[in-house]
Amino acid sequence: MEPQTRTEPDERAPFVVSDSAARRRDGAGAEAGPLGPFPPAAALAATLAALAFAAILYAWLRGGGSIDLPWAPTLGLRLHFRLDALGALYALLATGIGAAVFLYSGRYLRLHLASDGRPARDERSFYAFMLLFAVSMVGLATAQDLLLLFVFWDLTAIASYFLIGFDRHETASWSGALMALLVTGITAVALLVGSVILFVAHGTFSLPEIIAHARPGTTLTVAAALIAVAGLAKSAQVPFHFWLPNAMVAPTPVSAYLHSAAMVAAGVLLIGRTYPLLAQSQLVLDGMLVVGLASMLTGGLIALTRERLKQVLAYSTVAQYGYMVALYGLGGAAGAVGGAFFVAAHALAKSALFMVSGAVTQASDGEERLGRLGGRWRTMPIVAVAGALAAAALAGLPLTVGFFKDELLFKAALKRGPLVTALVAAGPVLTLAYIGRFWGRIFLGRPRQAPTGPGSPPATLVAPIAVLALLSLAFGLWIAPLESLAGAVGSVSLAGKPAGISLAYYLDARATNLIALGVYALGGLLLATYRHWLPVAQGFARVALRFGPERAYVSSLRQANRLSSALHRVEVRDLRRRVAWVLVPCGVLVAAGLLATPTVGQYAIGKLGVGDAPLAILLALAAAAALAATVPRSQLVLVLVLSASGYSLAAVFALFGAPDVALVAVLVETLFALLFVAVFSLLPDDVLRREQSLSVSHSRRWRDPLVGVVSGFFALAVVWGTLSSPVPSDRRVAERLIDLAPAAHGKDVVTAILSDFRALDTLAEVTVLVIALAGVAGALTRRRSR
Amino acid sequence: MTLLVSLVVATIFGSGCYLLLKGDLFRVVAGTVLISNAAVLTLIAAGFTRGAAPIRPFPQGSQVSDPLVQALALTALIIGFGVTALLLTVAFRVYASSRTVDLDQLSRMEASREDELEETED
Repeated sequence: MEPQTRTEPDERAPFVVSDSAARRRDGAGAEAGPLGPFPPAAALAATLAALAFAAILYAWLRGGGSIDLPWAPTLGLRLHFRLDALGALYALLATGIGAAVFLYSGRYLRLHLASDGRPARDERSFYAFMLLFAVSMVGLATAQDLLLLFVFWDLTAIASYFLIGFDRHETASWSGALMALLVTGITAVALLVGSVILFVAHGTFSLPEIIAHARPGTTLTVAAALIAVAGLAKSAQVPFHFWLPNAMVAPTPVSAYLHSAAMVAAGVLLIGRTYPLLAQSQLVLDGMLVVGLASMLTGGLIALTRERLKQVLAYSTVAQYGYMVALYGLGGAAGAVGGAFFVAAHALAKSALFMVSGAVTQASDGEERLGRLGGRWRTMPIVAVAGALAAAALAGLPLTVGFFKDELLFKAALKRGPLVTALVAAGPVLTLAYIGRFWGRIFLGRPRQAPTGPGSPPATLVAPIAVLALLSLAFGLWIAPLESLAGAVGSVSLAGKPAGISLAYYLDARATNLIALGVYALGGLLLATYRHWLPVAQGFARVALRFGPERAYVSSLRQANRLSSALHRVEVRDLRRRVAWVLVPCGVLVAAGLLATPTVGQYAIGKLGVGDAPLAILLALAAAAALAATVPRSQLVLVLVLSASGYSLAAVFALFGAPDVALVAVLVETLFALLFVAVFSLLPDDVLRREQSLSVSHSRRWRDPLVGVVSGFFALAVVWGTLSSPVPSDRRVAERLIDLAPAAHGKDVVTAILSDFRALDTLAEVTVLVIALAGVAGALTRRRSR
Repeated sequence: MTLLVSLVVATIFGSGCYLLLKGDLFRVVAGTVLISNAAVLTLIAAGFTRGAAPIRPFPQGSQVSDPLVQALALTALIIGFGVTALLLTVAFRVYASSRTVDLDQLSRMEASREDELEETED
């Protein structure tokens, strides 16, 4: 399995329906005709999400609530969920946008599956994982315990893996899915390590308690930085951003959900949730500001140059989450409220834009390059208008919800001086330019290529876009509900302090308005003179993609693969070498143990009276038989010698005063002998004879006996040393067990131990035996059925 | 007595290790049987007391054998039996599917099969 190197996704973008698939699409489209009834799975999922949305909204309006159940009380783990403002915001986003996306998926997925020639039943796993994702997001949003947070964090990553890799017949699809899983999964370990550091410092995983006790210091800074790293990777921030453009191989509804409102939002959610900890370290805040600004500029510049619709949107997401991270990094009330507000505003707009790209692509026969679209407003006017609203919201134009997100950004930046303000303002300029280009090249002008395909998308694809776009507009006109929610979220992030941020349109020459005007002017200019800037942006994109962190990811994955194949080669090809890999280190450990243990004077020869003669003879017999087992070439002789050794040992056990063991040993030896003979009788004679006459290579003729002798000596040293140093009598367990045996109603102490004192062990032992014998039975039955 | 038991354990264990390295899969199984036997003998010999069987009523005036090690030895015997039975069946399955129990030949076959797989992947 080789990871795909895609330094320039535009040339080889893997998520596009390939030409052959596009051709199949013609046939499928012609056959499908009218689309049939709306898929029930999508209707069910959308209803569930809408009901959950309503329930969460109702609960939040009634003042929230919390669930606190013990999970592992001895470890201090609790299932602690609370619907505070932060939880409510993200849970509402996950269920609300989820409902819209499920509605959109109904038709989209059928078309998508039909164009790939896949059966409609494949959609079931899609809805299952989408719902799992939604549930995980709600859990993540409301979890108040760091370990619980981690569990949901990884659940979202797992669901995302299956969703991104939904087109499992495409190599690029699962390599993109793997990349998302690895990048967000490996960085999730940072979250776990950070949590454990906090646990060690405060003795609890409960976030409210940790926040109440945490004081600034190196420990807190390290833990906060680790948690921030996990959040930044999940939110696709530089230098982890590369997984997001590669995740665009996912079907469009997945991108509209995960890559605008959910998966990437989880990172900012974590930052908002742990903000009272992060904000105690100026170092962490500054780091977040730098990462945010870098993501903002990198994402914005690369988005300007992308040709494929979803690539533009993916880099735009990188840039937009850069704003949010920068806002949290700027800190203060404006930062904390701004980050939360931004998430909601961006989710509405970006989700709608992803759905626009899907609708346009579906209606244009799989075409998704900006250069080949154009003039689509004629065939899909509603999508064009809705897309314009969403684009305006993303660009922060007045009368849309986006205006306020930029206002909060400027307000937070102004407190850090002119340089930061200028850098922060560059983001919206780029946004205006790339999203203007995106919308203009789809909908305006003339079609650059004769449009093919159905021309206009079905109504159920258009409706969710329209709803989200209208919401972007509605919240721009009536800001109060979102303002109060974001304010409450901000105060959660500020550990309970009221945020005191009010949002409204002011028609005066205040600084934020002036910056906004400047941004519109510069952005418009950039858009108008776009062609002159393009080479610069393309040069940057080329350098960033060629020398970016994706390269490090691909090469390290390749190295890991190579290492794994090399190990596999060594390990699997030779059983003897595999045994050596286990035995030699064991031997070294034993030798080290022997050297480290003081043994002088420890070896005792022990008494051997005349009465022990039978025991001694039997022991010698067992040893001689074992030694003899190494000699014979005939399998039958081997079995007989083996049994001789075993039966002698059984007699030894009897003389040691262990009748139970002796009886079981006789039974086991008999079964062994029968089993061996049975297996040999199943083998043809010629095979047995061939095995007997196998020649032994020269090197092994000396090496194997040497290994046997050396290991024998090791065993002698260890066993003799152990048997020579018994423990003083007052510490013996055995006497206590003998005294207790009558209480277990057992005359035989060994039986009492096995069936009473250590009954659980015996149960496990019986289980092992049953599993082993089931394996035996299975292996033998399978042969018979052949 | 201590030395004698240790020597016997060492001999059985060494023979088991030698068999484990043999090229014939059934001898490898026989090796595990011997190693398991050596372990059981060590356990029994590790008992602090040796005397009558630990079954009530105990005979007057004589020592009772350590029952704990006997319980442990029983567990070891049974688990060893289960594992060896499974191993023997697996060895037989290997023979049934590849018509040989020679390890060298098996690893050669494995290698060539893997090369084929890698070629078809490319």
